[in-house]
Parts: sequence; C-alpha cells; structure tokens
Amino acid sequence: MLSVLGMLFDGIAYGMLLFLMSVGLSVTLGMMNFVNLAHCSFAMLGGYVTVTLMNDAGWPFFATLPIAFVAAAAASVVLERVFFRRFYHAGELPQCLLTIGIVFVSIAAAAYIYGTDQQPVQLPDYLQGSLHLMGLDFAVYRLVLIAIALAITVLLVVTVEATRFGAKVRAAVNNQRMARGLGIDVDTLFAVTFALGSGLAGLGGALAIAMLGLDPSFALTYLIYVLIVVAVGGLGSIAGSFAAAMLLGVADLAGKYYIPAFGSILIYVVMLAMIMVRPTGLFGRR
Amino acid sequence: MTEPLLSLRDVRAGYGAGIVLDGISFDLPARGSLAVLGRNGVGKSTLILTLMGYTQIARGRIVWRGADITGQPPHRRARAGIGWVAQEREIFATLSVEENLTVAARDGSWTLAAVYDLFPRLAERRRNLGNQLSGGEQQMLAIARALMTNPALLLLDEPLEGLAPIVVEELAAAIRRMTEQGEGAFILVEQHADIALSLTRSALVLERGRIVHSGPSAQLLADPAALDRLIGLRLAEA
Repeated sequence: MLSVLGMLFDGIAYGMLLFLMSVGLSVTLGMMNFVNLAHCSFAMLGGYVTVTLMNDAGWPFFATLPIAFVAAAAASVVLERVFFRRFYHAGELPQCLLTIGIVFVSIAAAAYIYGTDQQPVQLPDYLQGSLHLMGLDFAVYRLVLIAIALAITVLLVVTVEATRFGAKVRAAVNNQRMARGLGIDVDTLFAVTFALGSGLAGLGGALAIAMLGLDPSFALTYLIYVLIVVAVGGLGSIAGSFAAAMLLGVADLAGKYYIPAFGSILIYVVMLAMIMVRPTGLFGRR
Repeated sequence: MTEPLLSLRDVRAGYGAGIVLDGISFDLPARGSLAVLGRNGVGKSTLILTLMGYTQIARGRIVWRGADITGQPPHRRARAGIGWVAQEREIFATLSVEENLTVAARDGSWTLAAVYDLFPRLAERRRNLGNQLSGGEQQMLAIARALMTNPALLLLDEPLEGLAPIVVEELAAAIRRMTEQGEGAFILVEQHADIALSLTRSALVLERGRIVHSGPSAQLLADPAALDRLIGLRLAEA
C-alpha cells in the first residue's frame, strides 16, 4: 500500500502514537520547566506491562491498556517524589543528567529482565487483517489505534479547556509565579499532571508495540521523536503537540517510503526548518 | 488592644545574597489601609514580594493573624487571605477574562457578579483572552482576580502605573469604592503619592530599604514640604 493515501493513513496512525507519547512531556515541561528525558522510559514501561500481562498471564490486549497507564503513572509518581522534585530549581543540565541516567537504568533493567530481543506480541484476531474501503486497504489495528488516540485527544482537550483543573494547569503553564500567588498549589498540580502525562505515555507505549515493536532501546529511540514533537509543537500546547506529531509521523513515513536513502534524515530537516521559522513552536508562546 | 491583622518585626529580606529591605517593622489592623511611598528602587515592590513569600528573609518575622508565616510558601499565604495584584499585572494570557477570574476564586462576598459590577468593562470582555486586553483592562482584571480570592488583605503594587490619566481616575474611583464596600485591609504601593495618600489611612515612606517616615496619610498629604523632602515629588494641588 504505497499510495499517497495509504502513506498518509500510516503516517497519521504513527503520529497518533507520537502524540500520546509526547503530550504529557509538553505540558509538564511547559509548567515546571523540568526537562524529563526519561519520559519515553514510562512509555517503554507501559509496553512491557502489556507484553507481560498478555504473554505470561494471558490477559486480553485491551484489558492490559488501563494497567499500562496506571503502572506508568505510578512509577512516575515514585520517581517524581523521590528524585525529580529535588531538581526543580537545579537548572537544566543537572535535570538532563539525572533523567538521562534514569533512561540508561531503565534500558539496562529492561534488558536484564526481558533480554534485548524484540518482544513478540500476538494481537487478537479481530485486530488483525484489514478493511477494504474505497479501493484501499486499511489495517484494522491502525484504525483502532487512531480511534483510541482521537478519543483520548478529545477527552484531553475537554479536560484542559473546559474544567477548572484544566484552567489551573493552563494558568500554571502560563505564569507559575502568579498561579502560586493566587493560592494555586502548583507543586501538587504538577505532580498530578505529571502522573497523567506519564500514564498517557505508558498507554502510548502499550499501543505502539504492534506497530513499532518493543525492545530496551525504545526509551532512547523514541525519545528523539518525542523531543522533536515538543520542540516543534511548542511547550505546553496540546494543539501544537497534536499538529507536530501528525506532521512528524507523516513526514517520517513519507521520507522512508519515497526516498529511503535520505528518509531517516528528512525529519531532522523538517524540524530544523520549523524551528528556524517558528522558534517557539507551531502554537508556542515562548 | 486587638491583635493586628499583619505585623512585621525587624524584617531583613532580599534576593539571594542581596539585601534590599532592612529593619522593616509595622502593624496593620484589620480593615486598615497603608500607602507605601518612596522613590524608584527603594524596595517598595520588594516589600510586597516579601509579604507574598517570593524573597529570602534573612532576619525578622512576619506574623499574620497571630501566626508566624515567615517561612510559608506563596500559595499558603494566598490561601490564608493575602491577595496580590502584581506590578506587571501578570494576567494569564491563555485564559479568558472569566477564567482568569474564576481559576483561583474562593468563596466570599466578592463573586463574579460583584467584580463585574465594580468593573463593567470586564463583563463586556469576559470571553476575550487575557492577551487581548488593553493595559487599563489588564489592570482591572488583575485587581478583580485578586478580589475573587476574597482576601482579608489586598496588596496593590503600583496599580496605576503606565495608564492614561482618564484610566487612572477610573481605577482610583474603583479602588475607593472597593475599599468602602470591602471588609478587607489593603496595602497600596504607588508613585502617584497624592492618590495613594487620599485612599489610605496611614502611610510609610521607604528610603534605601528602610522606613524613614510613618504616620497618618492625611497628615503627610497636608505637608507638601515633608513630601517633597521624603520622596522628591511636588504635588499638584491635592
């Protein structure tokens, strides 16, 4: 399925995964200026939780997804309480060193427990195969993936745009000092937001296995993509992250389909061009 | 004698190693009003930031309703009843006017209806985003947003700065109405000494981080020579 439409479809499915894995980082980075390079380790954790529950415990695929979310969220709360909170005022270099260290620990831990091979995952029959529509074949799993990601996006946008919790998050992203001065407990708000964002990454990681595969290098490989999404989308912007993730997903696949020799470089060219035109990101305000 | 709402005892504060304020002591009664005057850079805004918990306090104590709040973080002070109107207004640009008002609101007599009554312009612009407002409207919003937290003490840091004279008059009138109907106390930092003195009961003048004068506002307002000596401003006929 190398037609333009087919490529677009795959690119959008891929972009949805990137969105789920990056939106949490965008919001928490925008709020606390905390550089969490370990964000994709939470995605990887979600992936391994799903693999373990399916292969060792015989759980159905969909039943593992909430557990992947909760496990990643819980792990992030522990790390936030134990390590990250001590580094909020430490500057970017110590934050990067701390979190990249956690990335390497997570990679080593995953390799120790699961080995370095790709994890096999057997999707249920009804998620395999493809739908034939308008002369094109659409992989069922990717359709389901897009539907789930869209539903989560709607839920996320409604939460952030139409609830008081969301208004507090936006206020804290916009001006942390003033938010505190009005009585908003930014630290607690951040911890909750951080847990939700990490949970979404875990869910993204679980959904990604069937499309991107899963091995211990996942935490580092997709960190690059997630950082590009955050940089291009603009800090703290959900709409920006969404647009950037779609752009990156489609551009990356288009590059690999049409100009394979140059394909893996194309996204970096796209990112550089975007950053030069709009240094604060697509929808960024700073 | 009743306990003061706020008292500062020999406070020495600043940013990091830099000391800006030294030996600051004063009491503010419930429903009291205090003008903080002085030339640029004498520490007026630092005093406000110190009351909010944004500076490092090297010595002294801040007592709020009998409890020591010297080491408390800003959000706790806000929840304890201190409302803050920041010098740079610091409107949440990505929130609508109404969201700016409700995001940190707490129960009390200041409701959306009450602040819209005080600033009808904000009601007209309730759906606009914070970054779509004029300077005067932003200032109204900053004051209204602080009122929505129903503070027992409102800190106003140069609320009239940089505004057109007509807007200054409108805002000064609003502050007067607010203080007449409000239950709370307020501290007003202001370059417009005449307006600040006419709105408050007592005043203090800072000079290089220290209090060099304190007394009733009316007395200072009636003594142009003292004002000129203290803050170097000749007042227009008050």
